[in-house]
Amino acid sequence: MHHHNHYYGQTHILARHCGLDDEFPPRLRGYLQHGWNVGCGWNPVHEFFDGAWRYVWSDAPRRRGHSLGRRNYHVIGAPWLYLMDLEPELGAVPEEKREGTLWFLFHGWEGGKIQGDHARLIDEIRETEPGPVTFSLYYTEYDRPEVRGFYERAGFEVISFGRRGWNYEGTDRRFLYKQLAAFRRHKRVAANRLSTAVFYGIAAGCEPAVYGDPMVMEGENPLFGGVARVARLWPEMHGKNIDLATARDIADQELGRAWLASPAELRMLFDWNERD
Amino acid sequence: MTDNGSISVEVVRGEMQPWTDWSGGRAPAGGPVLTALLADLLPSSSRALVVGPHGSDVVDAVAARSAHTTVLVRSVSDAEALRAATPSAGVTIVAGSLDGFVDRLGEGDAFDLVLAADGVDRVMSTDSSQQDWQRRATALARTAAAGAVVLVAVWNDFALTELFDRRPAHQRHGDDEWWPLHDDPSRPTSPAQVRAALAGLGLDVSTLYSVIDVAGEAHTLIEADAAAGTRPGHPAARLAVRAVDAAAADAPLLAPLAESVDAAARAGQLGAVTPGWLAVCGPVAARTVYARSAAPSSVLTANLHDGRWQLTDRTGDNRGSGDLIAVAGTAEVPDTESVERLLLRAAAAEDVPEFRRIAGRLGDWARKHAAADSLGVVRLDDTGVDGDTFASGVLAWRTAVDSSAVELLSAAWHRFHDRLVGGHHRHPWPPWMTEQDLVRTWLGMSGEEPTTGVLAQGRQLADQVAAVADVRRTDAGQDLRTSIADADAAKTRAAELAGHVFGLERTLKFRDQQLKVRENRLRALRTELRNIKGSRAAQVAEVIRKVAVIRDPKRVARAVKRRLPGR
Repeated sequence: MHHHNHYYGQTHILARHCGLDDEFPPRLRGYLQHGWNVGCGWNPVHEFFDGAWRYVWSDAPRRRGHSLGRRNYHVIGAPWLYLMDLEPELGAVPEEKREGTLWFLFHGWEGGKIQGDHARLIDEIRETEPGPVTFSLYYTEYDRPEVRGFYERAGFEVISFGRRGWNYEGTDRRFLYKQLAAFRRHKRVAANRLSTAVFYGIAAGCEPAVYGDPMVMEGENPLFGGVARVARLWPEMHGKNIDLATARDIADQELGRAWLASPAELRMLFDWNERD
Repeated sequence: MTDNGSISVEVVRGEMQPWTDWSGGRAPAGGPVLTALLADLLPSSSRALVVGPHGSDVVDAVAARSAHTTVLVRSVSDAEALRAATPSAGVTIVAGSLDGFVDRLGEGDAFDLVLAADGVDRVMSTDSSQQDWQRRATALARTAAAGAVVLVAVWNDFALTELFDRRPAHQRHGDDEWWPLHDDPSRPTSPAQVRAALAGLGLDVSTLYSVIDVAGEAHTLIEADAAAGTRPGHPAARLAVRAVDAAAADAPLLAPLAESVDAAARAGQLGAVTPGWLAVCGPVAARTVYARSAAPSSVLTANLHDGRWQLTDRTGDNRGSGDLIAVAGTAEVPDTESVERLLLRAAAAEDVPEFRRIAGRLGDWARKHAAADSLGVVRLDDTGVDGDTFASGVLAWRTAVDSSAVELLSAAWHRFHDRLVGGHHRHPWPPWMTEQDLVRTWLGMSGEEPTTGVLAQGRQLADQVAAVADVRRTDAGQDLRTSIADADAAKTRAAELAGHVFGLERTLKFRDQQLKVRENRLRALRTELRNIKGSRAAQVAEVIRKVAVIRDPKRVARAVKRRLPGR
């Protein structure tokens, strides 16, 4: 229902999983978590209306939301995992052919830009990464030549997967498809903050790393504890060489692998079945 | 004085007329459960005394083992009715008050068996001086010879059925409350107090049963220590929940009793909150549980040994009518909690993966037993966890016609739905998921893809199960908590539907903005198109197009011909 549900084409993926039109997906009766976070699944000031269901990726946001007086949660697992199931071959290369690092800069959003020492970060990446680096920028940074230029001049391949859209317009519904294909040809995923992309990368078989200046975002709301809380909760997920088995366990938890639901189940949950 | 000369009952001081303890809110002590206990327990005696209102079945059971039996009731008409029902010469019926009876007892008149299974609350008359429980019990003890076998019931003011009765105390009892029987400091109100009070009268309790009766007729007896030892959802607690529900079927309640029974069981206090106790002084009872069975008028007995209950159904055969047949005989069930409790816990924790795991295992279990032709009606509230699998519970039915595993599972999930939603239990599924949606979901988790027919059949079977297994509340209606919860749920639903409308309006606003974006884009494209058409390059292109047409004479001729008048 809320236009955020269309971000990154997530509702489109779920519609496809349910055997429905994924170009014009049906209205989802509630809110769909669109990114990993350490809060209730949404930003601290997100609008909710009575009776809307909150579909989250994993159980932790549900628990945190409950503590905030919010109810009507249902954990369904991340659409990313459904996409991986729908596209088992997309972008896949033999394991020995995977190379390089897909590096994600903590990104701003339409309402806030990031600030930090990009030059220093580039130096650290060069020191750390053993292979070629593909640098992924969200379009908010990609469209800022002063940011993108840093990384292009550093010799990195700089890419952007597209826009998540706004009011259903401009949504690149292949956003996550492109990201999945990119992960499947890279050996590592890295970022300067533990973030959605790191978990996606781990799920797609990449070795993770989280290091470098985490940077700051204008207007960043510290209500949920910010970077420091993330570091306290997942110390094992920070560093340049992270234990892969541990990372996979945590990624499975955070993406809600155990919670994935069948198409029939989701159709009923989302009120997507035709009623007499 | 009333003329009692023509009746064949003896009369002692304090007889009541007109009066009856046979009708009204509470029947005389009796029924198959009590008589089954007596059949197991009573030794042969020479002189037996039955004090208070008891059914003729109880009198017969005592008389069958006694050379002579005396029955004391306070009502003359009750005595006459009992006399008519029990014509045996070995039975003497006495009408009068216990204090009058005791006053008349001489040396050597004491009894070697004394039974007061109705307790000592209905043994005094309006002509008796006000006597508290301690004095009534003392009078009873005076009737027993040294070493006599004594069975006496004590009713419990701390019973859940009392605590959750929404009527004021003075409205809960009948016309026999000519003085407040229950506001009595001398009345014992715990198993320990019962033991101590009777010990103080020289009666050592050898076995104490927690009694749950339905309007005076014993429904379930659970040895008090076993009741204290059971835990929520375990077989003894399941039987207690069923019995307490039956006991309170006519009572207006503050809240459902099942939750409180389980809470008491969790605290190890179930034995303390039953409607009463039956103290056995003398013999040690051989069985831990006596309860009404699945079949009408039959009795289930049970003993706990090494973590498993050995069950025996006294009917000895399969009985029933209609679509469901009660399964009798012997069985063994683990002393574990029910699968329903596991599911409710997972649902309350909104732990769908755990719920799915349990449902999956349940499906495996049902199919395995169906393949072995050993699957009966599945009630999740009476299906126990047995290691990695499950075990049917203490009460069993089978369908009169063969039912497949998916049909039985469908019925089980329908019943679970009724109890989950009807009980206002927390769960993670949204309100627009109908009963059919939920059952379909859960059956899917159990590895079944139900057809519409299977769902309908499951619903029908679940209704049949409810008809035989559940207590139907009478005029007392719904309990207060459920009524309030229903009202609150309706308010929440209304608020959520209003929110839904708000959300749809928000969606329209987003879509309006989307349309605006597209409209602006269309307008920009149109302007751009006009500008392109008005540009010199476009004009040149138009000339070129027309020249290209002129270069084709036949096409020009056709065009001219079309425009000629008369065409």
